[in-house]
Amino acid sequence: MSSTRLQESPGRVVVVDDDEVMLLSCREVLGRAGYDVETYDSGEAGLRRVLEVRPPVLIVDLKMPGLDGFEVIRRVRSEAPEVVIVVITGYATVATAVDAMKLGAYDFLPKPFTPEELRLIVRRGFERWLLARESERLRREKEAAERRFLAFVSHQLKTPLVAVKQYLDVLAHTSRDTLPAQAMQWIERSQARLNEMLDLIHDWLALARIERGELCSREARSDLVAIVRRVTERFSNLATQADIRIETALPDEELHVRGDEASVGVLVENLVANAVKYNVAGGRVEVLARDEGGHVILEVRDTGVGIPAEAIPRLGEEFFRVRDDRTRDIPGSGLGLAICRRILGEVGGSWTVESTPGSGSVFRVTLPRAACDGSERSARKHADGEVS
Amino acid sequence: MSARADILMVDDDPDFVQAIRALLEGHGYQVRWAADGDEALRQARLSRPSLILLDVMMRERTEGFFLLQEIRRLQDLRDIPVIVLSSIYADCPSFRVQPEADWLPANLFLPKPVDPAKLLDEVARLVGTPSQENDR
Repeated sequence: MSSTRLQESPGRVVVVDDDEVMLLSCREVLGRAGYDVETYDSGEAGLRRVLEVRPPVLIVDLKMPGLDGFEVIRRVRSEAPEVVIVVITGYATVATAVDAMKLGAYDFLPKPFTPEELRLIVRRGFERWLLARESERLRREKEAAERRFLAFVSHQLKTPLVAVKQYLDVLAHTSRDTLPAQAMQWIERSQARLNEMLDLIHDWLALARIERGELCSREARSDLVAIVRRVTERFSNLATQADIRIETALPDEELHVRGDEASVGVLVENLVANAVKYNVAGGRVEVLARDEGGHVILEVRDTGVGIPAEAIPRLGEEFFRVRDDRTRDIPGSGLGLAICRRILGEVGGSWTVESTPGSGSVFRVTLPRAACDGSERSARKHADGEVS
Repeated sequence: MSARADILMVDDDPDFVQAIRALLEGHGYQVRWAADGDEALRQARLSRPSLILLDVMMRERTEGFFLLQEIRRLQDLRDIPVIVLSSIYADCPSFRVQPEADWLPANLFLPKPVDPAKLLDEVARLVGTPSQENDR
């Protein structure tokens, strides 16, 4: 025990207890140990001071007239969560200790206690506070570094690709009739390969943003029917070019699911894109959405190349792609389904996949239903407003 | 149409500028280039272009947005149409600024790389076609 030492000089401790003798002895013991001790004889006064100065350590009696220790803990946890709380009480039972710890108290000191026990528990509280502060600083640094890295990747990787692609796009547009057929063909191949690279960067960034919690909002809700309409509309040209028919079976009314429109849109986009991409000429894509007892089911069915049974559990792994004769020439980053899986994780959904190689696949997604009238969301906002 | 439409491109990538400039000049437009926001403001006030094509991420991450707000604040520039060209729209599906949003009053947003036919259409829509002999 004596080997643990404080990294910094002792700081402020606030003690809240309605027992004058207890306050005196705490001031005496901790003052002598070098702490800057402040004592308050009521929950109200102590809480006000703690929220004002946010001391590293708060010692609080559970049983006080007026605002009791439990209420003090509750308020401090929600408004000054970094404060380490040590609980003292005269009626130390396991039950009250457990209750206090459940509310977020760090440790428990039953009365009567020795000066040594008090010093020890306060010192441990301080170390805990320092550790939390340090890890919070590291977490922030790491996040800032990641954000800088993402921004760097986004800009530095894409800028040269965009410039090259832009030359080729303009060249293809202005010189289509004058360039030799072979040159034109190579330009088109180059455009396609550059698109693959840009898609890969785009997918990788999306995945990184989801992981960082920047892309999905499970508080938000969106209308799946409108999203499916928008996405299938967008893919209709591509599908027609490939001689694939997209059909939808959607309810007439809106179908609200948990998750913001952008994320749910990305989910639907990736599933529909795959259903078109891994299809065959003359094939069909069906997109169905329906309400099913508190959940919303989205089904994307295709008549494409299918997925081998052994590959199905691996769908959603980063960079995993089924590689065989049928898929070799289909471009893809291997991140589309990984993005889908992460989005489902964020909004609290799931999927099942059925497939018959050679005849098609069904992706069945279950999404949590959200209230249609928006009352859920506005109620939460209102509650938040009252707390802060 | 009448006078040659004069387009100011604001972008820090000379290759991107050269590609778009070749496209637009090939269709009879006159194109000037500014590599950053300050230069763009100086040139815009000097020459009062018919249209500004604006990149977003230049020296500063959102330099283009600040420039756009500045353009809309200035009496002599506020009526010039602006098309924002940026690759950030592809990255952030949630980043959707409506053209009518009053904090960012661009006439149009196009993702980079830009579809040449689409750009020519939009430029013609905003400032007209400079010469008849160029067909698209």
